[in-house]
Formats: sequence, C-alpha cells, structure tokens
Amino acid sequence: MASAAEIIYTATTTTTTTTTTTAVVPPTWDLVTQKLADNFVYYLDGLDNLPGGQIILRYIKSSYKNDPVRSLFELALFIFALNYFLSSKRRENKSEFVKFSNKEIDELVDEWVPEPLIDDINPYEKWQLDAVPEVKGHNGSHINIDGRQQVINLASNDFLNLNENSTVKEVAAQVINTDGVGACGPPNFYGTQDVHVRLEEDLARYLDGEQSILYGQDFVTAGSVIPAFLKRGDLCVVDSGVNLAIQKGLILSRCDIEWYDHNDMIHLEQILSEIKPVLDRQKPIKRRFIITEALFANSGDLANLKTIVELKNQYKYRLFLDESLSIGTLGKTGKGLVEHCNIPRVEVSISIGTMANSFASSGGFCVGVTPMIHHQRIQSIAYVFSASLPPYSAKVVSQAIKEINDNRNAEGESIIIKSLHDKTSYVHKGLSKILKTSNYFEIVSDINSPIVHLSLKSKYREQLELPKIYGNSELLIKGKPAKYLNPFNDYYNFESFLLQKVIDFILQNSNILITRSKNLVEHENLPVLNPHLLIHINNGVNQSDYQKLLDVFDLAINKVLNPINNENDLFELTNEILNY
Amino acid sequence: METTLSPNIPNAPPDDRSKEVLSELEYGKLTSDQYLYVSKHPVGEPLPTPIDDEPPYIIYIATYISYLILIIIGHIRDFFGKTFKPNEYEDLVEKNGFAPWYDGFESFYVRRLKTRIDDCFARPIHGAPGRYIKCFNRIRHGKTGYLYDGTSTECLNLSSYNYLGFAQSNGVCTDFALKCLEEYGTSGCSPRSYIGTTDLHKECERVIADFVGKEDAIIVSQGYGTNANLFSSIADPKTLVISDELNHASIRFGIRTSGASVKVFKHNDMVDLEKLIRTQIAQGQTKTHRPWKKIIIAVEGLYSMEGNLVNLPKLVELKEKYKCYLFVDEAHSIGALGPEGRGVCDYFSVDPARIDLLMGTLTKSFGATGGYVAADKDIIDKIRLNYITQSYSECVPPPVLGQIISSLSVIKGTLNPGEGKERLQRIAFNSRYLRLGLKKLGFIVYGADDSPVIPLLLFLPAKMPAFSRMLYELGIAVVIVSYPATPLISARARLCVSSALTKEDLDYCLEKFSEIGDTIFLKFSSGIAGGSKIAGTPPRWSIEDVIATNVEDCKKPKLGYY
Repeated sequence: MASAAEIIYTATTTTTTTTTTTAVVPPTWDLVTQKLADNFVYYLDGLDNLPGGQIILRYIKSSYKNDPVRSLFELALFIFALNYFLSSKRRENKSEFVKFSNKEIDELVDEWVPEPLIDDINPYEKWQLDAVPEVKGHNGSHINIDGRQQVINLASNDFLNLNENSTVKEVAAQVINTDGVGACGPPNFYGTQDVHVRLEEDLARYLDGEQSILYGQDFVTAGSVIPAFLKRGDLCVVDSGVNLAIQKGLILSRCDIEWYDHNDMIHLEQILSEIKPVLDRQKPIKRRFIITEALFANSGDLANLKTIVELKNQYKYRLFLDESLSIGTLGKTGKGLVEHCNIPRVEVSISIGTMANSFASSGGFCVGVTPMIHHQRIQSIAYVFSASLPPYSAKVVSQAIKEINDNRNAEGESIIIKSLHDKTSYVHKGLSKILKTSNYFEIVSDINSPIVHLSLKSKYREQLELPKIYGNSELLIKGKPAKYLNPFNDYYNFESFLLQKVIDFILQNSNILITRSKNLVEHENLPVLNPHLLIHINNGVNQSDYQKLLDVFDLAINKVLNPINNENDLFELTNEILNY
Repeated sequence: METTLSPNIPNAPPDDRSKEVLSELEYGKLTSDQYLYVSKHPVGEPLPTPIDDEPPYIIYIATYISYLILIIIGHIRDFFGKTFKPNEYEDLVEKNGFAPWYDGFESFYVRRLKTRIDDCFARPIHGAPGRYIKCFNRIRHGKTGYLYDGTSTECLNLSSYNYLGFAQSNGVCTDFALKCLEEYGTSGCSPRSYIGTTDLHKECERVIADFVGKEDAIIVSQGYGTNANLFSSIADPKTLVISDELNHASIRFGIRTSGASVKVFKHNDMVDLEKLIRTQIAQGQTKTHRPWKKIIIAVEGLYSMEGNLVNLPKLVELKEKYKCYLFVDEAHSIGALGPEGRGVCDYFSVDPARIDLLMGTLTKSFGATGGYVAADKDIIDKIRLNYITQSYSECVPPPVLGQIISSLSVIKGTLNPGEGKERLQRIAFNSRYLRLGLKKLGFIVYGADDSPVIPLLLFLPAKMPAFSRMLYELGIAVVIVSYPATPLISARARLCVSSALTKEDLDYCLEKFSEIGDTIFLKFSSGIAGGSKIAGTPPRWSIEDVIATNVEDCKKPKLGYY
C-alpha cells in the first residue's frame, strides 16, 4: 500500500546521493502511514451502514486509489479551510477581546463618562472669533464694516474686482432668470447644463489645455484629484510648503511621498537622482508626480517652474501644479505661472485652480489632457458625489475670462491684469522702501504676488523668543500625519494678536482694511510658518489710496510694536486678548 | 430650420413661450385639494421595518449570468483590442517611460460596462430642472462622443433633487436671489474668516438655525465639503465613530480624514447598533482598552439609495442611554419630511435638542447649493474657530444665500403665506401616491412610505438602459444607478418625487411605467411588501384600477395593507 512513497524515495536515491541518509527514515514512516491508513479505512467502512454511504465510500475509495493518507491529508485541509472560513470574521480581535457578562457591561456603561463633543473655546483664542470682520452689504473694493463706511478693502481674494463688474452681474442675472439658482443634481445625473459645458470649453481654451472639469468647491478639488491618480505604491515628490488642501489629498491617496525643501531645486534634483536607480528597476512603472503650488498660499513666493519642468522631463515625472492664486493674476493675460515663466501648458500634466478668487465666482477646476479629465468624471469622489456648481456661477466665470482675455492693450497684455501688476509692484516697491530700515517687518513674498506677505523680522522674533516654526513635522519625517491635532499654541496666538493690533491701528487711522494669515495650526500637517500680515492688492482701489496705506504703515508698526521688546511685554498683552 | 449635427453641446434654443406657460412647466398648479397629505409619523408607534421584497431566484441567476457574460466579453475585447488596435488602448499602456493615467483593471468596469450605457448618464440639460427638464437630443457617435442637433426634449422630471419644487426661474425666491446678486455681488471672494462674512451670511445662519430648531448654525459652500471636513474638528483616534453601513461617501470620507476609529453597524439595525455600542464601551480602545473619549453615532435621515428613514426615536433612546453623541445627515430629509418640512425630527416629533449635530444640504429641497451644520451655540462657536472650510475655502455666494433665505421663509409661511404649506403637503402626497401606485402595479420598490426617494428595482444590467431609454422616449427622465453605488445585483432606477409634479403627471408616469414593466418584465414583486388586494398574493393591478383607487388608498396610514 505504501508503494507510492517508496517509489519516490527510490527514485530520489538513484538520482542524488545526498538523500541516501534520509532513505533510512522510510521504514518507520511507512509504519505510521500504514497504521493511519488502516484506521482511516476502518472508520470509512463505517459509512457503509449509513443510507447512501456506499456511494460516498466508493467515491472516496476511487479518489484515493492506493493512498488513504492522501485523502486524510485532504480531509484535514478541508476541515482547516472550513474552520478558517467560518471563523475569519472578527477573528483579529479575539485575543484582545475580554468577555463580560451583561451585568458587567451595564456597570461599565454606568461608569463611563464621555468627554464633551467638542472642547470649550480657549479664552485666549476667543478674540479671533471677534476679529472676523462682518461686511454690511456689498463685498467689493470699498466696504462697510463694523459701523465704518467706505473702508478700502485690501483683504479680499477678488484681485481683479470683478465682483463689482456690472457686465458680470448682468450675465449672472440672465442665467438666474432662465435656470434658477441651484443645479439640483450631481453632474452625472442631469446636473450638467449647457453653461457648465461652455465653461469647461472656455477654461480649456483660455488655459491652453485639452479639457477641463468643474468642482463645486475650491478646497475639495486637490483632495479629490490627487487620490484619483495617486494610489498606494505610486510616488510623488512634493514641495514641503504646500497648502492644506494638497496635504489632505496626499494623505488620503496613501502614496509614497518624498519631500523636498520649499523651493529648493538642488534638493529636488538630489532626491530625483537618488531614487532614480530604484525606479529604473520598477516593472511595471508606477505613476510618479512632482507636486507643487504655483504661487504659494503660505509664503507668497513663486515655484521655480523652469527648473522643475526641466527636472521632470529629465527624470520622467508628471507635474501637478496648484494655480489657485496665480491664475487670473500672473502672466500677461492672467494664465498663471505658466504664462509668467513662458512655458507651454502641456508641460503641466494636471493644473488645478479656483474660480472663487480672481474670477469672482465659486468652485474649483482642473485642466489637462483628455484621458486624465475623463477619468475624473467617474473616479473623483468630490465630482461624483456632490451637486454641480450653480449654473449662474459657471456663466460668471465664462464672462470673467472674457473680461480678462478680450480687453487687451497694444502689447497684447490684458488691461485689467496689467493694472493689477502695476498696483502690485507700486505697493511692493513702496513697502520695501519703508521697511528697509524697519526693525520689525520684512516682505517675504515675491514681487509679482498679488498678496504681499509681511513677516516679523527674525531678529525681532528672536528678541521676543518666538519659536522659529509652529505645528509639527511628523508628515515630513515619517511620511504619516500626526495622529492628533496640533495643540493650541500660545505663541502663535500672541504673534497673531500683534498683527491684529497693526491691522486695527491701520483701520482706525486710515480706513483701510488689511488682513493676516489665518491658518488653522491645529489642522496643518506640515510645519507652519509664523503668521504673516497680508495685503491683498485690489484693482478697484486707486493709487492714492495705496499711498495712504504706505503713509500710515510705518507709523502703525512703530506704534504697535515699540512697546513690545521682550517675551514679558508679549505676555502682558494677555489682558488685552481676554478683553478684545 | 436646417438641422446640422455637431459634436459640441449647443446653446439653449430660444424659448418664446409666455412667462405663465414657462412657470407652469417648472411648477405645476395643484389640481385638487384632494391631492395633499401631511407627512408625519404617529407618535409612539414603532417605525415599521422596511420590507425589501425579493424577486424570483431566476432573476438573481440571470443577473449573475449577465454580469459574467459582460465581464467575459469585456476581457475578450480587451485582449483582442490590445493586440489588433493598440492605438485605441494607448491610454492603458506605458508611453515614453510614463505610467498610464490609470491601469486597465482599475478602469475595466467603466470601459467595458458603463460605457455601453453611457447615454443614460450625464444627459446635458438647459433651464431650471423643475417639473419638466429640458434634455438636449443627442445621438451616439463613435466610442464616447455624441452628435447634437441643437434641439431638446422636455421630459417629466423624476430625476432632480428638487423635492419642494424650488428649482424655478421665476417667483419670490428668484426675485430675492436677484436682489442679493445686485446688492452683494456674484461671489464672496474670500474664505469666511478673512473677509467673506457679510450680514447676509449671518442672517442665513440665523434663519437655518431657527428652521431646524437649534441655537446656531454654520454654512459651507458645498454639501460634500461640509461632511468631508467636519469630522476633523470633532473626532480623533481616541474617538469612536459608529457609522451606518450605507452612509454617504462624504461622511465616510470625512471620518477617514479625521483619523477617528470607525465601527460600522448594519443598515438601520438598532439591535446590532446597541450590541456594538455595549461591546465598544466595555472593550474600550483597541489594544490599550482605555475607555473611548467619546462615541459619535453618524447616520443619515433619509438614505438616498434605499429610500429608508432612520429609526430616530429608537436611536435617540439608545444615544441617551449610552451617553453617545448623535450626528444626523439630513441631506435628503430636510425640507422633504415632516408637517413643517423640518426634517426627520419634525417627522418623528423628536425634540431637535436631543440630537447633537444636525447636518444637511441646501441643494436638494431649497433649490440652492451648499450645506450647514446646526448645533448648540458653544459647539458652533468652537467649530467656527477650527472648521477647515472657514479658513481655507470660499464662502457661500450671495445669490445662493438669497435662495436659501427666501425658500426657508416660504416654507415657514413668512413669505407668500400658504405656498410653503402647499409645497410640503404636495410632496407628501406625491411620494405616497407614486409609491403605492408602483407597489400595486407589481414593481419592487424599497424604502419608507413617506420617502420622496423611490428606488425601483431592475436587477438585470440590461434592463437599466432599456428602462431609461424607453422612458426617455416617452418623455420621462429618470436616474438609474448600479454598482458601485448599490450592490452588484440590485441595479435600480431612483425616482425623486417633487412638489412640482401634479397628480396627472404621476398618473402619466404610472401608466408608462406599467407599459414598460410589462414589456421588459419588471413586475416581479411577491406581495410581502404590500400592495395586494389579498394579503400574500403578488399584486398585479390594472392601471385603471390603480388610478381609480389610489388617491384614497395612499392616504391610509400604512401603504398597501387592506
């Protein structure tokens, strides 16, 4: 009966010499199998007495031929598989699972005291709630806030002042008059109107892309586009100064992330060349991207697009560019950083942007090649699972593009963009002149940025013993975000409050509203820069008013910051904060 | 006019009909006071468990076989296509050292199954999606393209989320939206915490809070974005979020981004939920076994794919017994349910104060866009400080605010008294009327009696395009959904009822549904879900009998039991 095993062993002994030692084993092994087989057959014969057992018996016997052990082994495997299959549910916790009786659970339930749903507001941060200005009536270049009339508004993202443009309003009214306000459905279910399609065409044409796709909200765009193309195992090399929307998208995509220092092209190249040998061995190739913002929301500087494009072509990466702040502000006709740097749009594989800033509407968009856009229409969750943009918003953007692109001067520059550029450089130059000798502030943003970022000088910050950077860097170091939100930071709060005092002083003395960066340190996954004072240039404000700001600025910072020379002075603001 | 076919979507053709005709096409006039009903759950009575009827086994088998065939043919076509027509597959292969945008396996379902019935999705429209929806006529051209002849067809609209019929291009709401546009502009142009807050935003939040019965509310420019970012502010890994298995993608996405621990309970199964809560409180956090910091139960008020209502009375009881917090997403129920349209709380007569977070969208019932979160004042104040959308995302634009404020005023009766009440009672009647009619005819429909979402089960993949195309020919626009939004075997048509539809519109729909149901064999209900003349037998009423009796019958407290 055990001939099969014997045959194998004899076969091996004839071919190799090493197995001769093991050949000693068979006799005992044989004995065991013989015994097992006999027992198995004995029990199997018991089946005979059952109704229908004979058929099963015949079937099993014919299947095991001369080797009942094999059948036994198969049976054991079958039982194991069945057991595994049935117990696979919730098995992973079994070892940790503590069994309680119902009474014990009742006691535990009684004992359990949950924390409140949300923590109370920290009294030191409550002022931030009161510091949010409330506009009465129209939101434009001149606004009414907190009882003040005709305040010059240098805090809005509506750089081109199209929100006050009567033609734009007119087309919006026309669409509301035929289509109503809401779209009442997701784009894939009757939520796509002719105006949406027109806008997609307009955007693609204006930005020199093949196609474009609209999103209902700007913030969700990056967080939905990135996971649609980057999956586990894909790779992206990312600037470490990107905004929160991109951070969220990266975390959700679960791809591998390499960070390069903010705008540091040498570091970028170093990383690309370091991982090249690994990628060269990859089969099949995985998707890889370089991800950056065009005009950084956090720092106001521009990405070095020329070098990035060279590098991405050399190392075969695709480029993802967030042009939220640069489209409608940079370049001769407002086509963004790409136009500013004279690089064709095709070099950027995925461009995303917002329509809520320069275009005076709402929503986000993505531009690129056809298969990429087409894929998003089914795979991008913020597109699939949310309602379309209101039709009038779509029409407003189409009109805004016309306003920007059609009215050009002799040099082919868009007239309103040119005017924005002039105003930007006027303010930038004026401020640099004033701040040359200042102890307190310096300009950190690029000269082309329509938002002027002013930061406390590092020397002064050292004097106040303010930390270099806030937030946490776990995402940078470990590639995984910190598990918990960043704790409330007193220093960040104080520093923001200092800036608020400057803002308030300027508002009271010259009726001009500027603002400061209001990043939520709690949610940021990358290190957070110190808060900046922000001046948003607006086309609707004329030069003399900008001059007014320049006139008051030096006075304001000196008045506010002169009395504060060390950490103690800073802490003495506590009372002021509590009573803001 | 000469018709030329163009691959581009045409502009809306000019419409020179009078304003009265057009407004009738957006919102039909009520033809009789008979056709009204008040949507309210009898207090104290348990919520009937929804009965999901099952078709004969042969249907299931046929469904599986259909998918099998589709998948096999798809693979065969892929295989031969890649070999013989590589240029059509270049998106799927490596090119010049770049990986494809998406791989063949990822996109198989879309390429090989969805593309075949692509004409039933994303039909482009123009005009307000009211009682009638104007869809551009198009002919399939090539692989994914279409040709348009510039004309459009007016179809009865059973597809838009227009529960109260506010998708209108004239009337008080439109006037108010236009006024806001004029006075405030087209956009907020800034996140809320910078300079995006106007007095109109504050007023809108007050109006919403007052409507849903909470102390304060916060609004966000998109419903999806509301959920997607909310949980980051209220949950962390030491928090347990217990989520219904059929919750909307935005809730699941939001919970995932927050990093909170998640446990899922069986859809609407309160016994399973209680068991889960008890175990979780007893076991505590994984590994450490420390007690959970807090437990948040996340549910929807009305499930958009099933038409089921949350068992709110029982849920509130459980939540209070076990000291959990309750988050209810009223995306589909706000406005559409309850005698005053205030959502599930109103419908079940539950005090809104007993629910911690009431979230909802403004897209569906109010003809606007965006979402809100309503809660106690201290909670909302804190959320204002650390809600991501407040600092990083656009604010709600003024015309949308105008639409929200005015439509809520209409519902409350402060604007155009009587109109709001009529809208509420019409949707309640229309929902019950259509649902009962379909049941009597022998279709399988899911969901609660008062739900304005009526999923009509089709099962077989081939019946989806057939149903959609045949109805489209007859001038009725419906939405069909299947995997991945539903389980693979239960493809369905999702009908969304609106106040804008008249009883005569619904009769027309029933009549046509009945004809199509006979033609493509859709009447396979067994009778367990009601609708029969004799209990237990499959209901197969003639359309004449249905229309003759339905107005009376649909007002009986429980649908389909005589």
